[in-house]
Amino acid sequence: MNRDLRFTALKKTPFHSRTSLASRTNKYYNWNGFTVPTEYSTTELEYTAARNGTSVMDLTPMCKYMINGSDANKFVDYLVTRDLSQMEDNTVAYIIWCNEDGKVMDDGTIFKFSNTKFMLCCAVKIYNWLHDSAEGFDVSFEDATDTTAALAIQGPTSCSTLKNYGADDLELLKPFGMKQYNINGYDVLISRTGFTGDLGYELWTDPANAENMWDSIMEAGKELKIRPFGMHALEMTRIEAGFIQTNTDFMAAEDSLRPVRMRSPYEIGMGWLVHLNKESYFVGKRALKKEKETGNSERCLVGLDIDGDKPAVGSVIYNEKKEDIGIVTAAMWSPTMKRNVALASLKRPYGIKIKENIFAEIYHPEELEYKKIWAKCKVVKRQFFSPERRNKVPADLYE
Amino acid sequence: MSENYDVIVIGAGHNGLVCANILAKKNRKVLICEARENCGGLVEESITNFVPQIPLSVSSSLGGLPVKYKAKSTIALSESGQHIRLVGNQHIDHKVISGFSSKDADRYVEFHDKMSSFSKALGSFMMASPPRIMNNTFSDYFKLFKLGMNVRMLGKKKFNEFARMIGLNIADELEDNFENTLLQGLIAHDAVLGSNLGPRSPGSLINLLYRMATHDNSIFGGIYEIDGGSKAFVDTLLDISNKNKVEIKTSSSVKRCITENDKAIGVELHSGEKIYAKKIISNADPRSTYFSLLGTENLDTDVKRRIKHHRSKGKVAKLSLSLNKQPEFINCDKNDLESRMVIAPSIDYIEEAFNPSKFDKLSMEPILEMKLKNSDQSNPVLDIQVQYASYGAQEGWDKIKDNYVDAVIKLIGKYAPDIQSCIETKTIVTPDDIEKNFYVSGGHWHHGEIQIDQLFMLRPIPGASQYRTHLDGLYMCGAGTHPGGGLTGIPGKNAAQAILEDA
Repeated sequence: MNRDLRFTALKKTPFHSRTSLASRTNKYYNWNGFTVPTEYSTTELEYTAARNGTSVMDLTPMCKYMINGSDANKFVDYLVTRDLSQMEDNTVAYIIWCNEDGKVMDDGTIFKFSNTKFMLCCAVKIYNWLHDSAEGFDVSFEDATDTTAALAIQGPTSCSTLKNYGADDLELLKPFGMKQYNINGYDVLISRTGFTGDLGYELWTDPANAENMWDSIMEAGKELKIRPFGMHALEMTRIEAGFIQTNTDFMAAEDSLRPVRMRSPYEIGMGWLVHLNKESYFVGKRALKKEKETGNSERCLVGLDIDGDKPAVGSVIYNEKKEDIGIVTAAMWSPTMKRNVALASLKRPYGIKIKENIFAEIYHPEELEYKKIWAKCKVVKRQFFSPERRNKVPADLYE
Repeated sequence: MSENYDVIVIGAGHNGLVCANILAKKNRKVLICEARENCGGLVEESITNFVPQIPLSVSSSLGGLPVKYKAKSTIALSESGQHIRLVGNQHIDHKVISGFSSKDADRYVEFHDKMSSFSKALGSFMMASPPRIMNNTFSDYFKLFKLGMNVRMLGKKKFNEFARMIGLNIADELEDNFENTLLQGLIAHDAVLGSNLGPRSPGSLINLLYRMATHDNSIFGGIYEIDGGSKAFVDTLLDISNKNKVEIKTSSSVKRCITENDKAIGVELHSGEKIYAKKIISNADPRSTYFSLLGTENLDTDVKRRIKHHRSKGKVAKLSLSLNKQPEFINCDKNDLESRMVIAPSIDYIEEAFNPSKFDKLSMEPILEMKLKNSDQSNPVLDIQVQYASYGAQEGWDKIKDNYVDAVIKLIGKYAPDIQSCIETKTIVTPDDIEKNFYVSGGHWHHGEIQIDQLFMLRPIPGASQYRTHLDGLYMCGAGTHPGGGLTGIPGKNAAQAILEDA
């Protein structure tokens, strides 16, 4: 590490020279120790680019860990709840992992290069957790967060943009597939993954190539409505896609001070990622098996379709007797869906057996005064937005 | 697959034997798999010098244990020949100590009374299975409440004193009470014996309380030698096993536990043989039980962390000197030679011996606890517990062993000038040897430090107390469980009870 870094409060990503030029608002925030824009121009414009053109986001601050070794395959399967024993090379999988109590620590994506080489990408730092979990496995780890530059290229015209950039035959890449390219004389790994619920890709390369990559992609997308987008726009797209965010929609087990705030996968709608019939043991399996057998999950995370057009940010959810039954963790007016949507953590049986007669108390700020709205909600599928083009192969191309 | 046995016990240490026999008496079909050729584990002459008496509750659940004990007095050797001889009887000890300092003698009685009442309060708790705090059940909280009450019932003054002393180091307390450095050294020696602490390490006082709780609530009473040696003790247990039809397979080291649906259903031996049973009990230490038998791939990360942090570095070596004649200890009579002889002249001396061990190094002036065997015969043996002989010593045991033995002999020479000329052969068993030969990770007497973070419901690790492990059907009955090491059989008995409760 650069010695001077100790005296710098926040690190700059390899794209900083470009993202800072693109920023019209000078709005930054601290993401995992890096300074990155929350907004370049206006969030609405950036959101619109993500849904109608190509949006570009600097993903470098994501935690990235390389997992190598003869037991890498076994280790990854042990670490996460999902059965990855049949995972193919050069694919990506969405995963969660738990502690011994079966409480979710974080979610992320795992990239498989071969049985002996993986990359784990996530929000919360888990370098120590990896090392402590590795007892008994022949694996080694490398924290690649600072040594890998990452860029998300998302939106309906993203495939065309990247083809112009030099990614030949990219339209044939399946969702959750990945492919190694050599473009402009450097190696780029392109995976068909993303956090917007739309067609999109993520690019991984050495930091030395970052600026050329940014410039070339901006040039390649010039006619395809390309625009950098910040965290606020990403937040809008991920809510529409129904993706959950650690420490927003649930507390990471290692971060919550109160044990009752920890959530099991079943309590945040991630039960589908828990494969109890997986042959080998995985961290938290005993606790999760017990929870599944006894059915004592206490909460659930659901999508809400809310009356009216005022976003229910931070709202408390009530039943018809005005009893507190949960809280909204993320909410927005969806411009694409023209619906007032929210993600909410509810106390069971609400959200599972009882899906009607649920109300949100919305405090809508209007110039230093709050308008109190009592809005009826309907429990719906969390995935509000999922266009056909998202999973289409070959991907849509535009000129 | 047929279940050949009701229970398989891994390891024929004394706790394993006690556990197996209690179960066999309840009509369970029991098999013991022992890795070594002999049974008894660390209860071997080469390891143990002096022992507490097996509690009545344990011997009665075995239907009686015909073992004869010989009470031993203690002598703190002084280079000047001004030895202190204590027998564990208040009146006699008072008289002895007043020969050195009448102030110390009165203080000793007060100190002993106080310590004794505390160890009694802990005592009832020592016998039973500890509560399991992660369970949240009423009976577990009640047990905890009872311990609190036991201590509170001592009265407000004593309760405050207990709270003051629980985290204290033994040196402070001794220096507050006594002026005779030899007496200070002797009591401090017993407080740190078998542990990884110096007299000035916080927590060394509770170590002494803990020792007293298994030694008749006395500091120098309750120290015994088994008539016929530890071999007689093991033979008695083997006789009982025979009667109870406990099968014992020696030279059969277990490679791992066989699991099915996350439940232990049998064991696989290193020979490849597989044996099945309803319940498996490990007499091995916690680290071996978890990392080898249960298997790292079957453990949650949090459990791995706890086991990795489990403190179990042994600090005691055993040196045996076979002699051709009885050595002349300065100013010692025949009686003295039959007592427990301690070389730990002062607190500072012990602390100096302890200091290098903090860095995994060895002090060439260690503390010693000695026993002269066959003193009336022509071939006496001097058995010496040497502390602090660090596990994994930085100097490398292979290289330094001979020098170390010579240093110990030189040290004894200060008290018995002719020792050198009496020696025929010398054998030393270091903690590293204990690990290798007895399969105890870290070579620790107690399979893990007796310290506040590894006691009661925290022993061996949180979530695994009450003799159950994280794997269904796999239990623990070794010294690593509550209440810990020493020749008591309590862990074995409590483990058997846990198994009977679950059945």
